[in-house]
Amino acid sequence: MRFLGFLTRRIVGIAAVMVGVSIITFAISHVIPADPVAAALGDHATDQQIEAFRAEYHLDRPLPEQYLTYVTGLARGDLGRSIRTRRPVSDDLFDSFPATIELSLAALLVAIVVGIPAGVWSAISRGRLPDHLVRLLSLIGGSIPVFWLGLIVIGLFYYQLGWLPGGARIDTFVTPPPTRTGLYIVDSLIAGDLEAFRSSLLHLVLPALTLGYFSTAVIARMTRSSMLEVLGQDYMRTARAKGLQERLIILRHGLRNALIPTVTILGLTFGSLLSGAVLTETIFSWPGLGRYATAAAIALDFPAVLGVTLLAAIVYPIGNLVVDIAYFWLDPRTQRG
Amino acid sequence: MFKQLRHISMALAVAALVAAACGAPTPSASSSPGASPSAGGAASTLVIDRDTSDLISLDPAVLYEFSAVFATHNVYETLVKFEGTDLTTPKPGLATSWDIKDAGSNWDITFKLKSGVKFASGNPLTADDVVYSVQRAIKLNKSPAFLFTDIAGLKAESIKATDPTTVVVTMPKTSSTQTFLIILTFTIGGVVDSKELKTKETAGDFGSAYLLDHSAGSGPFSVDHWTKNTEVLLKANPNSATKPSLSAVLFKHVPEPTNQQFALEKGDIDIANDLGSEQIAALQGKAGVTTTSADSLLLVYVGMNAMFKPLDNVKVREALRTAVDYDGIVKNLLKGNGKKVQGIVPKGLAGYNESTPFQADVAKAKSLLQEAGQTNISLEFLVPTGSAPGGVAWSDLAAKLKSDWAAIGVTVNIKQTATAELLATYRAQKGQLVMINWGPDYPDPGANVNPFTDYKAKSISFRNGWDDPIATKAHEAELISDPAKRVAAYKEITDYVLHNGPYVVLYQPAELFGLRSNVKGFNWSSIGWAELASVTK
Repeated sequence: MRFLGFLTRRIVGIAAVMVGVSIITFAISHVIPADPVAAALGDHATDQQIEAFRAEYHLDRPLPEQYLTYVTGLARGDLGRSIRTRRPVSDDLFDSFPATIELSLAALLVAIVVGIPAGVWSAISRGRLPDHLVRLLSLIGGSIPVFWLGLIVIGLFYYQLGWLPGGARIDTFVTPPPTRTGLYIVDSLIAGDLEAFRSSLLHLVLPALTLGYFSTAVIARMTRSSMLEVLGQDYMRTARAKGLQERLIILRHGLRNALIPTVTILGLTFGSLLSGAVLTETIFSWPGLGRYATAAAIALDFPAVLGVTLLAAIVYPIGNLVVDIAYFWLDPRTQRG
Repeated sequence: MFKQLRHISMALAVAALVAAACGAPTPSASSSPGASPSAGGAASTLVIDRDTSDLISLDPAVLYEFSAVFATHNVYETLVKFEGTDLTTPKPGLATSWDIKDAGSNWDITFKLKSGVKFASGNPLTADDVVYSVQRAIKLNKSPAFLFTDIAGLKAESIKATDPTTVVVTMPKTSSTQTFLIILTFTIGGVVDSKELKTKETAGDFGSAYLLDHSAGSGPFSVDHWTKNTEVLLKANPNSATKPSLSAVLFKHVPEPTNQQFALEKGDIDIANDLGSEQIAALQGKAGVTTTSADSLLLVYVGMNAMFKPLDNVKVREALRTAVDYDGIVKNLLKGNGKKVQGIVPKGLAGYNESTPFQADVAKAKSLLQEAGQTNISLEFLVPTGSAPGGVAWSDLAAKLKSDWAAIGVTVNIKQTATAELLATYRAQKGQLVMINWGPDYPDPGANVNPFTDYKAKSISFRNGWDDPIATKAHEAELISDPAKRVAAYKEITDYVLHNGPYVVLYQPAELFGLRSNVKGFNWSSIGWAELASVTK
């Protein structure tokens, strides 16, 4: 019951965030000095074409009226028509979102699978070589620009060594699996197509590592510091006094408590992965939301930019909601409210 | 102990499963013989990496984007066509001959069609299909429709079939028959299969929703699929009279030039379509790879707004033109990826003027300024952000011009701004010096001469506040039917604009390509396509 109330409050919160985001993004995209008409129609357009375009996108109407038209459309699930692709924005988002979800989930997986153990290892080896190593790699991961890292890993693992593919979601001559979820890895397994699975998995490695490195670094550092704090707690000493195995003490008593701040970070990380995908997708020719957003921004395609922003505005709070639900499991105190 | 062993064996089992699924890490799939049938097999599929983010539709009556023009030029045939890379003389295509007749107040052009042509569907191509295609383009009224309606002055009823192999087009005498023939070579002139499309029509869309990512043409290839943001696959059309040696052509959407370069070197693709001078330099001497370049039809120029003093003085404009080091720009900044062209018609089009009288003559430029009584000039110079055609940064080009003009005592203040913002200022006649590029809408000199000379067209000459009687001559030249006389008239006009117009034409950029050494027969036409049917690999 308490959980249901909590969930309702969060969903209302998400709706409020979306209204705020839509107003701010709409305002920003309509008051910037650059003219989307010039961007869309280019150098050759006649005055008549420009007028027709303004009328089609309601750009000849006062700003509040434009916003009202947009919001009315939103209420019907209509995100408008993209200036660049001339398709409904919702169709474009539907096409490109699964690729980004697949990449972001893979990057998140990298961050969890590598970041948490690295943080734990670093904490229990405090002051020794593994600790220095993890801290150094975390420092690099936290400060390296993702586009630079992307080019480096393509140059090394694809161009020089030839170990992994350098871009795209699947090999040129491998047929993508029939769309079920839009995630190639999952769809190829559903279809039982091992060749497509192998190819899409290999294609995911470099972009996921590139995108996930920053998050891995953040999670490793966060896990390390919270683990260090937990290791000094009285209940850890008690656990040792009870004669429990060190591995159990670290994992069951230490890590579970240390994970609470890490989980908070994970929620935020998922949102930041989406924004990181903008650069990663461009470098790896990954046909996802990030690349769509980049192309939309360059073309001043404001309906598309608004669509992407609103989608991100949903994903961020959903990430946080998942985190809050995870708290219920991790920290019994939250269940008591 | 056993527990630990169990964990280890489980980990090993998972690792083995993943390894089995992944196999040996061989990323280069294009070399794998077991290629997907959908792509027609690696050995006979030409793979082209290209930034295809401009794709909107593959319908010839709708598309007007570079990637779509390249792909669909190989899917649809036109009544007349250019052969190879020549863009000056239209040759027979689906029409074996055409006859232009003076019908009093109009021109009547009669096209006789080739017999035995079949669409990919197997339907025979008839005069009805030609009429349907032109009427469809006019009625849909999408981006390229103005070529038929505004430039050629056609209406839907201007075209009719008099028998299954004869089409008659009635044109007003205010439009040029030469220009119309040239427009017909473009993708909007592509003839579609009317019988098939009529079965695909929804809500009076003339089958446009279907042609978005399908095709109904008679060209050597047909559209197999277009996966948005990923790829377009063309497959050989078995019913085409032209039999390509390739079974398929795959356009892969790869926006990063460096990735295109890497993929080409690794042999994963056959052609890299968007290379800059940096990538071309990196490819030199690499095994299995060649590079090539072709003229584009673009001109990079500086507009000098004659509404601002002292740019209203023709001698000041001539001085600014005279001071520029064009050779230095081509050699040092473009590194050869462009050529010195100073007229308003690019090389490759009929009416191209070879004259290049200007080259960094500081003394002459200074004396021109003295004659004009102008010694202390300061102007604002609008420059786009990013890269200019030919691969040089707009900012580097601007810095070079600033230094050239400083040598004659002209100070320019560079203001760099996004192209969209720059265009808004330029259109409103508010720029003083504006650097930008221009490409013709169709491969005819009129497509450049008109906007560069006709103030009333509200295009380039309007933006630079230059209203000159030469515009009348330009329109007269456009309407001349005799190609040789037309070229002579354009020579006179372009000579006049060269010294009197408000333009510093800087260069004509080249387009750069990287190819695998085994790719033969790839000849890029400046209009933006290559005949893929003649390509082998």
